[in-house]
Amino acid sequence: MVILTGCRNSPDKVVVYCTVDQVFSEPVLRDFEEKTGISVRAVFDTEETKSTGVMNRLIAEKENLQCDLFWSGDPLRNVVLQSRGITASYRSGQTALIPAYFKEKENHWIGFSARARVLIYNKTMIPPGALPHSILDFTLPRYKGQFAIANPLFGTTTFHVAALFSVLGYETAEQWMEELKNNQVIVAASNGDVKKSVMNGEVAFGLTDTDDAFEAKKESNDVGTLFLDQQQGGIGTLIMPNALSLIKDSPNSENGKKLMDYLLSRETEAKLAASCAQMPLIKGTEVPATVPSLDHIIPMKIDYRKTAVQLEKIQPWLKKWVEE
Amino acid sequence: MARYVPAGLVALLLLGPFLALFVRWLTGPDNLSLMAFINRSTLLLVGKSLLLSGTVALLASFLGTVCGFLFYRLKLTGKGFYKLALLLPLLVPPYIYAVAWRDGFQWLSGNSAVSSPEAGMIIVHTLVYFPLAMLITGTALSQIHSGLEEAGLMRVSFAGMLAKIVLPLIRPALTISFLLILIISLSDFSVPAFFGVNTFTTEIFTQFSAFYNHQLAIGQSFLLVLLCLTLLLSENRYLSDAPFFSVHVKGSKTKHYPVNKGRTFLHILLWIFLSIVLVLPVVMLFHQALSGREIFFSRAWDLLGPTIFQSAKLAFSGALLISFTGLWVGYMKERYRFPHLNTMFLLTFIIPSTVLGVAIIKFYNHPGANFIYTSITILLIAYVARFGFIAARIIGNGIKQLPGSLEEAARVIGIPPVKRFFSISIPLLLPSLFTAFVLSFVLCLGELGTTIMIYPPGTELMPVKIFTIGANAPLALTSSMTLISFGVTLFIILIFFLAAKIIFNRFRYD
Repeated sequence: MVILTGCRNSPDKVVVYCTVDQVFSEPVLRDFEEKTGISVRAVFDTEETKSTGVMNRLIAEKENLQCDLFWSGDPLRNVVLQSRGITASYRSGQTALIPAYFKEKENHWIGFSARARVLIYNKTMIPPGALPHSILDFTLPRYKGQFAIANPLFGTTTFHVAALFSVLGYETAEQWMEELKNNQVIVAASNGDVKKSVMNGEVAFGLTDTDDAFEAKKESNDVGTLFLDQQQGGIGTLIMPNALSLIKDSPNSENGKKLMDYLLSRETEAKLAASCAQMPLIKGTEVPATVPSLDHIIPMKIDYRKTAVQLEKIQPWLKKWVEE
Repeated sequence: MARYVPAGLVALLLLGPFLALFVRWLTGPDNLSLMAFINRSTLLLVGKSLLLSGTVALLASFLGTVCGFLFYRLKLTGKGFYKLALLLPLLVPPYIYAVAWRDGFQWLSGNSAVSSPEAGMIIVHTLVYFPLAMLITGTALSQIHSGLEEAGLMRVSFAGMLAKIVLPLIRPALTISFLLILIISLSDFSVPAFFGVNTFTTEIFTQFSAFYNHQLAIGQSFLLVLLCLTLLLSENRYLSDAPFFSVHVKGSKTKHYPVNKGRTFLHILLWIFLSIVLVLPVVMLFHQALSGREIFFSRAWDLLGPTIFQSAKLAFSGALLISFTGLWVGYMKERYRFPHLNTMFLLTFIIPSTVLGVAIIKFYNHPGANFIYTSITILLIAYVARFGFIAARIIGNGIKQLPGSLEEAARVIGIPPVKRFFSISIPLLLPSLFTAFVLSFVLCLGELGTTIMIYPPGTELMPVKIFTIGANAPLALTSSMTLISFGVTLFIILIFFLAAKIIFNRFRYD
């Protein structure tokens, strides 16, 4: 009987599908449970391992959606779901505090706490003075075979590459990627593997996300970080907000909205800043001293929707780049 | 009729999702270009994948056969220990094994010991899957009647007897072990992805995860299924007759050879092999768990604690259901010449896990079936679909070895069929049932590919939690969680063995 008990249409529950690392997202969801009494039924996945479970599940469930709220580590996945008619528009009362740049104009996704792409390096292998200051410097001969990026077909690296194609233009970006390959870039399975390779001294530096870098610094004194392209007139570094989408025709949409309101609050941003160094989007949110402020980072100027479209265009080329 | 109704129901529950997906694919929006993906590069990729997995299957079958001979046919001190220790890699998820093994080699050599990604994949798959070959060929070796070997030894040398009598006799077991490992290696995504090797399965995964192109990914999966089916059906004779995972020898006498010369050398070789297969990755996991800035065992236990009971309960239910289904399927095949269920389980066994997940979602995710889809029943269905074939073959071969004369004698004296079944067949089948149950339990406990796509929201399961927590957690925490999971699995299996000892003693007839 217990086995056969279903769990649909309960007034005191909400179903959330989450690609943000469970170690950081679960405590926030538990706090919401305690505060509201609404039971959170979560399905976790991780973008490090391509979010296959959650994304394919949402797409496959389209005809009878089970999920109320989708919490993604970056907005690209939300854009994919929006294009497939899976998300609903919801303007949370909290959104007024979030800068317009981090919101979809019809409120199909709304951003909060952001990560950035960052260079992570091993201090025992390369002194800070010898580090590249622009991502475009990765192709310099002196860095040959010394650096790693994650597989650009997946996760935040795919987002980063698509953003570079948007900012630099197709031809320049393509040439840069080819030169990257000629400079013997090491393509790791994930950002986590990039972090590990740098920590173990297999490579001198690599590209990863700020939360990975934050963890690496906690684990080792030999690891340092650097935001790239911060010089005047530079292209800036990619900022990736978490993104929330309410799911269309979801079974517990009212609770989904309550959870969305909670996640978009200053309180949640402060928690994520403390646990994984995510940078709040709401001005004035209290953060630990180790968390960088978005006010001090030159962001890469991109349109998230257009970047998603760009990604779709370049994916076949990227696949060839990875496989050749 | 009595056999068709339950068979139809099982076919609906297990094969229905796959057939429905096939129909959707055929009638999908891109149905005009269904076969467009079959081009030169796809065929080259299929060829490369077959070559890699074929090498794995060859090496694993060779190692498994050598170990099978050593542990099943020699009078070797400590062979029970070696056998058990070399089976343990089966308890660790291949991905975790790959990470630990590579780190271990790197740690020892000071740099990456595996320069070629393909070599890394082949080595790890070989070490993870050779225990299957050891079980299969070892069982076959222990079923060769001593008289045949003794007759051979009168005319030819020991090596000649092995080549001319033993190897031909275990050819079906060698074939099935080769094919089984080939298929399992072909359908694994995690290890090739870790080493950065592009295979047909990683291509399917890329279509699912990077392009969200279900139509193409499903089409490619059908090609993979077709390939596996062709391989298996071409060897159908062996599949039907091979002593696949038989666990008990009934009515034959096996010759055990003494080890007179080179005993110490053999033990040294075995310990070196054991070090590579088991000691190195386990030591590496301990090293990683203990070398972080803090000791994470307590935190790992806090995280995994709530999942252990739920996971064990689910795996136990799954293993019971699989064993029961395997008994039924095996009985239908061996006693009633009804092989269709076996073929159906073969089909669901070779479907890639992600495709099985999508098929199950599409089939069961309807308002009328929510009571199945939103409960753990959906996981039990997936487990039976994924592992029913293995249990059916283990138990089926057990049934095949039961002398028909026992049941005939009981029938002659008027014992009714149900009583005959429970009083004669079941006690004699206990070793096969137990092996099927334990193996199913281990497989259910570690299943991730399908589970992560269909587990009910809010359910906490051990493999999913290790996978999702491990993504960004410190290495020491991930290693601690893996070791706890390994320890818990080992502990539960030991309890099963103790319980089995009591039950087996109760039903002993000799």
